[in-house]
Amino acid sequence: LVAPAADTLGERLETRSSPAMKRLERQSAGARHQDEGKAATMQHEDVTVSAYRHARGASGSPLTALAAFAAATAGRSVGAGEIEAFAAELDLPAAAVRGALSFYSDASASAADARRVCEGLSCRIAGAVPAREIANARGVHCLGFCDRSPAVLDARGDVHVGDEARRIVAAPGPPSAAKAVDPPPPPAITSLASRAIVTRRIARGDFSDLGTARADGAYSQLERALRRPPSFVLDEVERSGERGRGGAAFATAVKWRACARAATPDVRYVVANGDEGDPGSYVDRLLLELDPHGVLEGLALAAYASEASGGIVFIRSEYPRAFQVMRRAVVAARAAGVLGPSVLGSSFAFDVEVFPGMGSYVCGEETALLNAIEGRRGEVRLKPPYPATHGLYGRPTVVNNVETLVDVPAILELGADAYRRLGTTDCPGTKALSLNHGFARPGIVEIEFGTRLEEVVAAAGEGPDGAPIEALVLGGPMGCVLPRSRFVARLVYGRESAPDVVLGHGGIIALPRDVDAAALFDSALTFFRDESCGKCVPCKLGARELAARFRKDAASATSPGFSALLEVIEAGSLCAFGSEMPRPLRQWLQLFAPRISRREPE
Amino acid sequence: MSRAGEARIDGVAVAVEPGDSILAAARRAGFAIPTLCHGDGLHSEGGCRVCLVEVVGARRPLAACCSEIAPGMVVTTTSDRLHVLRRGILELIANAPGLDGARLASADTVFARLLAAHDVAPRTADRAAAAVASHHPYLRFDPSLCVACRRCDHACAEIQGNFVFSFGGRGAATHLLIGAAQDFSASPCVACGACVDHCPSGALSDVDRLAPRPGESRRTSSVCGYCGVGCRVEVETHEDRVLAIRGVEDAAVNRGHLCAKGRYAHAWQRSGERLTRPLRRVGADFAEISWEEALAFAADRLAAIHAAHGGGAIGVLTSSRSTNEAAYLLARLFRTRFATNNVDCCARVCHSSTALALERTTGTGAATTSYGDIEVARSIVIAGANPTEAHPVLGARILEARLRGARLMVIDPRRIELAGFADVHVPLRPGSNVAFFNAVARRLIASGAHGAIDRAYLAARVEGFAAFAAFVASQDEDALLASAGIDRETLDRAAGFLAAGPALFVHGLGLSELEQGVASVESLVNLGLLTGSIGRAGAGMMPLRGQNNVQGNADMGAMPNRITGYQRLDDPRARERCRREWGEAPPIAPGLTVPAMLEAAADGDLRALWIQGEDPAQSDPCESRVVAGLEALELLVVQEMFLTETAKRAHLVLPAASVFEQDGTFTNAERRIQRVRAAVAPPGEARPDWRVARDLGIALGRPVHESALDPAAIFDEIARLAPESFGGVSYGRLDANRDGLQWPCADARDPGTSRVHESGFVRGKARLTCVAYRDSSEHGIDGYPYLLVTGRELHHYNVGSMTRRTAQNALAGGDRLELAPDDAAREGIASGDRVVLESGHGAIEVEVRITPRIAPGTLFLTFHDPATHANRVVTPALDPESNCPQYKATAARLGSPPKN
Repeated sequence: LVAPAADTLGERLETRSSPAMKRLERQSAGARHQDEGKAATMQHEDVTVSAYRHARGASGSPLTALAAFAAATAGRSVGAGEIEAFAAELDLPAAAVRGALSFYSDASASAADARRVCEGLSCRIAGAVPAREIANARGVHCLGFCDRSPAVLDARGDVHVGDEARRIVAAPGPPSAAKAVDPPPPPAITSLASRAIVTRRIARGDFSDLGTARADGAYSQLERALRRPPSFVLDEVERSGERGRGGAAFATAVKWRACARAATPDVRYVVANGDEGDPGSYVDRLLLELDPHGVLEGLALAAYASEASGGIVFIRSEYPRAFQVMRRAVVAARAAGVLGPSVLGSSFAFDVEVFPGMGSYVCGEETALLNAIEGRRGEVRLKPPYPATHGLYGRPTVVNNVETLVDVPAILELGADAYRRLGTTDCPGTKALSLNHGFARPGIVEIEFGTRLEEVVAAAGEGPDGAPIEALVLGGPMGCVLPRSRFVARLVYGRESAPDVVLGHGGIIALPRDVDAAALFDSALTFFRDESCGKCVPCKLGARELAARFRKDAASATSPGFSALLEVIEAGSLCAFGSEMPRPLRQWLQLFAPRISRREPE
Repeated sequence: MSRAGEARIDGVAVAVEPGDSILAAARRAGFAIPTLCHGDGLHSEGGCRVCLVEVVGARRPLAACCSEIAPGMVVTTTSDRLHVLRRGILELIANAPGLDGARLASADTVFARLLAAHDVAPRTADRAAAAVASHHPYLRFDPSLCVACRRCDHACAEIQGNFVFSFGGRGAATHLLIGAAQDFSASPCVACGACVDHCPSGALSDVDRLAPRPGESRRTSSVCGYCGVGCRVEVETHEDRVLAIRGVEDAAVNRGHLCAKGRYAHAWQRSGERLTRPLRRVGADFAEISWEEALAFAADRLAAIHAAHGGGAIGVLTSSRSTNEAAYLLARLFRTRFATNNVDCCARVCHSSTALALERTTGTGAATTSYGDIEVARSIVIAGANPTEAHPVLGARILEARLRGARLMVIDPRRIELAGFADVHVPLRPGSNVAFFNAVARRLIASGAHGAIDRAYLAARVEGFAAFAAFVASQDEDALLASAGIDRETLDRAAGFLAAGPALFVHGLGLSELEQGVASVESLVNLGLLTGSIGRAGAGMMPLRGQNNVQGNADMGAMPNRITGYQRLDDPRARERCRREWGEAPPIAPGLTVPAMLEAAADGDLRALWIQGEDPAQSDPCESRVVAGLEALELLVVQEMFLTETAKRAHLVLPAASVFEQDGTFTNAERRIQRVRAAVAPPGEARPDWRVARDLGIALGRPVHESALDPAAIFDEIARLAPESFGGVSYGRLDANRDGLQWPCADARDPGTSRVHESGFVRGKARLTCVAYRDSSEHGIDGYPYLLVTGRELHHYNVGSMTRRTAQNALAGGDRLELAPDDAAREGIASGDRVVLESGHGAIEVEVRITPRIAPGTLFLTFHDPATHANRVVTPALDPESNCPQYKATAARLGSPPKN
């Protein structure tokens, strides 16, 4: 997901030197040494159902229980008595249970619709049959197999791609008929960078086994760091200039430092954001499946630097294999003393829980993700307060993208100075791009920041038949739609990026020459309508209005009224989901207006 | 250019205060920014985006409600662009699916005014609107008017500490959820109405509101007449009817909040059962007579009994439900005209132990703190009180403090609602407070931990530490724990809780209403002193008073051993003041307490009793003795609104004006004196209590010029009589300062006292009390395996004469005997069964409710319905010093009702 929700002058003006953030840092730095710390934090204290649970002595997250309840009751009506009994068991109010369950797609899906058909942009382009035309299936926005579209996830949790996927959805019969299959082989993973950082391990195979990973150096940087003070990690990452790879590009060390300084004594958390929701990007899936110990090592280093003791890996339910692999990795790491009360024999205590998503794009946004972990509706929170000071259960919390975390051990290994020589001065390092099947050579390509888009397109061999790619979608649904004339643009976060270019999480989907732009425009509108969390009016009602108008009359897409509505959504929305929604829509219209506005009404 | 510390809003420099939102700063400077989802005093939702403003340097407009203002910021609140944006947003809301746009636009609501101000006319009404949920006596939800702004959810969580609401679905389909099944009746809703007050679109509304035509209703600022919290209310009336009651937004006590009783339960005011004319007993019946006849009859009979038997044969109970002025004037009359100190009030049967214990240990027999300390407290101890039911608005404040991070310990035999939120719950055996508190004190002192007790505070401000330490050290911990029925781990946790520092001790009748009532409070004060709590911010002793003016009645001198302002009868200065103000001083010898008066009546020593709005026949313990006393009287006069169990036995019943029908003052549990104002005329010939006292006085020979007395003049006299406490209180100040004044308030410049003993204890040094636990006369009685506790529930109030005449009956049925599941299983009793509840004093038949809220071996019974006769069973045992009855522990057993 792109930029995080922000409703402060500070963050809008300039992320890196946010005065609001600095003010918070100063406050927390002072408060930590004062007895009156509580008073300082109380001004932002929201009285939530989590506060209610906490006051009732309930501990831990109700998310796993909610997900289990949702699965157990899927496809049938649930009576008030049943809700009340379950809510009481969880120490949650009954309405809160109803509210949370009704928020998530998985919880409201029928058990019979166990097959999940990818309706992401890449699969749509590949001609995937929409879920509503298939028995026992429901649509999801992306399964992360854009290199081999289309993709289907069966009831057993196995993924089928390409012709196999087409065959399965065409076959009648109950979903359990699907036989267990080997997962599709990982895509090609290459690097254009002078040195591979994030793909350093996954390019060479499967390192999910702890022994294999350790033989390859996993946890060696953690071991080294534990012999130094936390400030060593913090300073090194700060000097590296690392920014969040989820798309918001916030300075990683700033979050860590704010968390470490925050004035709550009992517990701090670090969270690995494995809710890779952008249709078109899938590097996080590969990292979670093939290099889980790389993620965990990064998370442990983040925790050490942030003085956190609780770790969470949150993985979207569309990635069941990643979830299983990560769970096994955590168990193995704990058994080996890599996690637990004495990490690698040191005095540092840190353990990790793995939580599943329940189907919501917005949960990739860090505050919505925290709400989801708390078992609440996955809606964005107002900021400030920032998670770094008031995060999970109101405790200081760092949320980092999976890719960012995998970078961290590499930064320590290389040293900040060497790392800074990768990428640009303002945005050092590398970024993994996810290329879809619309390229001759799809797969993951690691680049240094500042690389031109045309270099990537050329390296991928242009289109499947070698024909030049005329347009592509970069950075997910809130990213951008670029014609070939803009392929000169540099791929970079921050001020060096052109205003019409949004790198986001690095997904790239090539648009074929005969693309049905109207259908894709419609699917973009549907995506925005269905995934808006419902927190703010311009986004939730604006997206619905856009979709309704377009369905009714495709020509309305080029009307002044449509444009005025985009302005209301862009200027008025609370978080980036709304404010970043209009740009790609305008770019679609810029490139394909005639094709889009001539569409027959449904 | 702006100066440092200033921002500019629409070109005007405004001061920036830390933590201020743009909205707050703009409003202070007089700029009106439109808002929809923002509720004053609530956490910002930030969702409607109607309050967007432009800020120089910001890429996009910011929501003023949730964006912090900063020095140097340049804000524009009004521009064409903003108007277009706001209009666009409002159009989206007004035309959202499922809404009835026409009704939304035409209602008298915040949202309709926003639509009008932005020229938004909803396109259509959505006819597919869902049904209106209205299974509740007070609350209604109309989904076709709900704009999902979420103010109701914030209000419920942040004002009441409740979580009735959530939201279902997502995106445009996001909609309000109520409880488990879209029904207030089947939800945790306590009907406080906070959601209704915050709803900007009319989706949530009050069922009971009688809609007046605009301009025809009148609003009167007053104080709630139910419990002792003292919420300020605004009473909306039309002619002689109360239409609606609202909490006063800026009230210090309740900040706009009320409970179901205070907000909705006012239908009794227009009940056809109100008494409207004086009634004189004729045989077994009553005959209506005129006031002239009634006052002459009363005066003649009182004078005759006085002449024949002296003042000792006459007694008076003032009303804790009525005003200070009424109580004062009636007590003055009996003390002077009949030279009797047989003056008491129902404080005797509730907090008399507390007042005595606090006075002895600290010097002042009242709360040492204010409600404002709840929000400051880091640790709160609730002992023998059930605030969320008996003092709901204060209970909600305590729950809010807990939800915001305060620590909480609950000491109560029952698992009351707050126990579910407590860090530590101590379910001690009824009546065993002293044992448990001594065990905790022993632990705190014995603990080597630094700071477990506040040694500096003890050295500077407390006397008797060495003796006390020796006393508790001599106590056998095992024996104390056995007496309290508490295990060692619970004691460890309780001691650990208090070792963390000062605490706010909120306590109630579970301490006071025992044979060891005074000792219970003294031993709790011991913990307050050991922890250095009393006189500190966010800490101290906060007894919760049961009735709206029970604090005031005691303050006014409705006690047999004190006159106004707790002055001693033998204090020469006080006697001189009496002579000056009253013309004479009362006898020096103290009179009789309520229980003693009833006993004296039964013995024929007390012959006349005047009861101003009390119902001892239903509310006082051991009904047979009470009734025997009342029925032995030669003259029983009762001022009442309804024909209560006591009034039925009177020789003369005088129709009383209600809280809505008279002027005066009430004093709440935090010593706050607030103005009560008549909003409607009394029904028929019912009269304000103070006026009856005045006119009776004149009939009994008080100077005729007293006919000019009014409540303001009466209070002036009170201030002159007790200047240390009330010298600075006057109606002029009470009208100007709408939150009233907290006594002590010595002179016109004294702002009143929110926290007593702050700079030093009133008695010099506070006193630690060495008092050992002993079983009461109801403990350990063979054949009676249970201890019965009586008390209140949320939706009824005391003897129920008011709440039983309202829709509260739909929220709570009759009295039920609460029984623990294990006990029920052993006795073979099911919920809903009728059983015989029997003590050594009487037996009743009552329906059982089985609940894990109650500990095995304990029973709980409410006493709101006269048909229950709960007090037939309750022991006559008293605290020997305070004479407070032991409602909180009666040995009892259960049996089957006779078959018929």
